[in-house]
Amino acid sequence: MKYQFNWSVLWSGQSGQWLLSGLILTLELSVLAWLMAVVLGTVAGAFRTAPWKPLRAVATFYVEFFRNVPLLVWMFFWYFGVPPLLPRALQDWVFAHSLEFWAAVCALGVYSGARFSEVLRSGIQSIPRTLIEASVASGLTVAQAYRHVILPIALRLIIPPATSESLNLLKNSSVALTISVAELTFQTRQIETYTAKAIEALTAGTLVYLVLCVTIASIMGWVERRTAIPGLITGGRGESR
Amino acid sequence: MKKLMSLLFAAVVLVAGVAPALAETTLEKISRTGELTIGARTGSPPFAYVDAKNEWVGFSIDLVEQLVIPSISKKIGKPVKLVKKESTPPTRIPLLSSNAVDLIAGTMTDTRTRRDSVDFSITFFVTGAQFLVKKGSPIKGIGDIGGKRIAAQQGSTNAKIIRERVPTGQLREFPDQPAAFQALVQGQVDAFTNDGIQLAGLKVKAQNPADWEIVGDFYSYEPYGMAMRKGDADFRNAVNNGLFEGIESGKFFELYDKWFGPKGELPYPMSAAVRSFMLYQVVPK
Repeated sequence: MKYQFNWSVLWSGQSGQWLLSGLILTLELSVLAWLMAVVLGTVAGAFRTAPWKPLRAVATFYVEFFRNVPLLVWMFFWYFGVPPLLPRALQDWVFAHSLEFWAAVCALGVYSGARFSEVLRSGIQSIPRTLIEASVASGLTVAQAYRHVILPIALRLIIPPATSESLNLLKNSSVALTISVAELTFQTRQIETYTAKAIEALTAGTLVYLVLCVTIASIMGWVERRTAIPGLITGGRGESR
Repeated sequence: MKKLMSLLFAAVVLVAGVAPALAETTLEKISRTGELTIGARTGSPPFAYVDAKNEWVGFSIDLVEQLVIPSISKKIGKPVKLVKKESTPPTRIPLLSSNAVDLIAGTMTDTRTRRDSVDFSITFFVTGAQFLVKKGSPIKGIGDIGGKRIAAQQGSTNAKIIRERVPTGQLREFPDQPAAFQALVQGQVDAFTNDGIQLAGLKVKAQNPADWEIVGDFYSYEPYGMAMRKGDADFRNAVNNGLFEGIESGKFFELYDKWFGPKGELPYPMSAAVRSFMLYQVVPK
């Protein structure tokens, strides 16, 4: 009656190869979606604090629309909803060129971008208003002030919450299995199909995610220390704990 | 550190407290709770699905309700209530091993690999894998799928066979049938492979059943059984006895007719060979 563990299913047969291919696909998907999210999030986050109403309105619409709908729905939207809007020839082309992968990148990138933009906005808003006034007073335009003063500081400030968002993005990439992307979680299920050993397969997947996330968190921690501006943003690390 | 130790201690106590519960047999558990918890599908007509009246019904559920439950309650000497939980191919074995459900009553194929992890009842349905395609598709069977995009249900035996036999076929595996069928409808994939009976179930439920065709000979043999935790012989006997008695008394065939007969949800007459196979499975009293 008790479940019989058999860990050898993880290194016998094709399991290792499957996990590896799943890991690669998860990384490809996450990296592309992350780049998309950072670009969208930075633009939207900056727009949301801009002193011009239409920009704020566009960015607010983007954020509220995309972050308030479940990711699963966005996966289905990009995979099932978008292709019928395309012309027939283009449709055939995308169907033949891993539509599911690009749909997942879009779903994850656009969704995470909306969340990322909120992180950036809170970073920008934590910068004293006087700083932007001082920048403008020193002869910079508002756009230049954002580009050379505000964003460089804000992006440094938000590294800890942005790390969390990035880890979320990586883990959320598993939702892509619902539209048949053979990523890491999919592959753990694959092992289950072949060996009927679900708990072992899930444990392997969990460990891979854990190692990935801890690695990313440490890299981001390193980036945070390397990019810190002495005297401006300190504390929170080491001596002041 | 102290905090960590007390946390660890709490965890140990928790696990130790749960352990005796794990050690009881399934029949003891049913006797204690008065409930048999089954894992069933919600989108696999007519085995287990949510019907137009929003009720969770099907052939597999009927078998449990009308044959298995009476046998169990006779065995333990008190009435048993049926509790249904949703299970899907990837979740059904973990649900069993974690004691969340006691019996999988759906469309699970009995295989030798799966028998390493779970036990199966006798076979209650036989089918084989085929393809569902748009009418007029060039795909006529497993020989034509090289290079084509084929949807399959994740965790199913069909996907495994395709991968081994036609490595050039581009498999797209979906966690559930509705998504896979939607991909076929829209053209993301060229065919959907699954057990023939399940494809037939999807076809009758489709908006225009005439647009779809089920093609190809069975390229696999899929005997359905009810799965349960491994090594619980008494429970397995109780389940099998229920099915034996149903087959002997003819109740099993009545239920089959209710779902697969000419007036059933999905007409699929039982062949003479299958009928004898069912009868031969029954061991004498």
